[in-house]
Amino acid sequence: MSVTINASTSSGLVQSADTSGTVEIQSNGTTKFTVASTGAYGQITSGTAVASTSGTSIDFTSIPSWVKRITVIFNGVSTNGSSNILLQIGSGSIQTTGYAGCSISSSTASAVAFANGTSGFNYGSNGGASSVIGGQAIFSTLGSNIWSQSGSLGDSGNTRLYLNGGSVTLSGALDRVRITTVNGTDTFDAGSINILYEG
Amino acid sequence: MTHRIVVDLATGTTTQVEYTAEEQAIYDAAVAAQEAETPAEVVAETTTEVPAETTVETPTEPTQEA
Repeated sequence: MSVTINASTSSGLVQSADTSGTVEIQSNGTTKFTVASTGAYGQITSGTAVASTSGTSIDFTSIPSWVKRITVIFNGVSTNGSSNILLQIGSGSIQTTGYAGCSISSSTASAVAFANGTSGFNYGSNGGASSVIGGQAIFSTLGSNIWSQSGSLGDSGNTRLYLNGGSVTLSGALDRVRITTVNGTDTFDAGSINILYEG
Repeated sequence: MTHRIVVDLATGTTTQVEYTAEEQAIYDAAVAAQEAETPAEVVAETTTEVPAETTVETPTEPTQEA
């Protein structure tokens, strides 16, 4: 049996949760979509776009524990130095150890692979202060707080492409993402950054 | 004062968080270390480039004047 509920033309359709705060939509006895007080499972949610025009890092915090995938989006991002873009995640605080991966910097003349290091996912080598970076990096979890990441960032200021892939295990549920630089002292001076998250 | 940008997805607020005294001290030490390295690199590059250019140009100019 199907039931159709028409929305009110004045206030729209409102479905309130019980005291658990959770609304579920089921099909054939299985929950397909859940709306909890911390967000909605099963759909992509946009964070808040922020201008990357100051500061040494940009943090997105209070990421819900049910999130399974996060996309970090770069638009015209630049810093005042030549240190590589570094992505880090954390549970309660930013984790600065245990990252494993590899990165490639490709230009029209050559491609150079280099060690990722263990302090984060290292996108480089940065072409310097003239870098203008766009692209995205995607974090996905395979469970047990293990997160894998891959991404490609294009540097239109230096005609370079930065690729990175790797994984890291957190001590608990991921709740934050940091975008910074390897040396931690370069300052963002252009562009904007946002994240998408989904469960 | 050095700062970071923090976006809280629960509240939707974006704030500029100033470094703590400890973080600022670490930052200042890192910048000082970078600046200590930079002059050495500049000197090395300058030392290499100047003699090479001088050597090439010096014998050429008298020949043109003559």
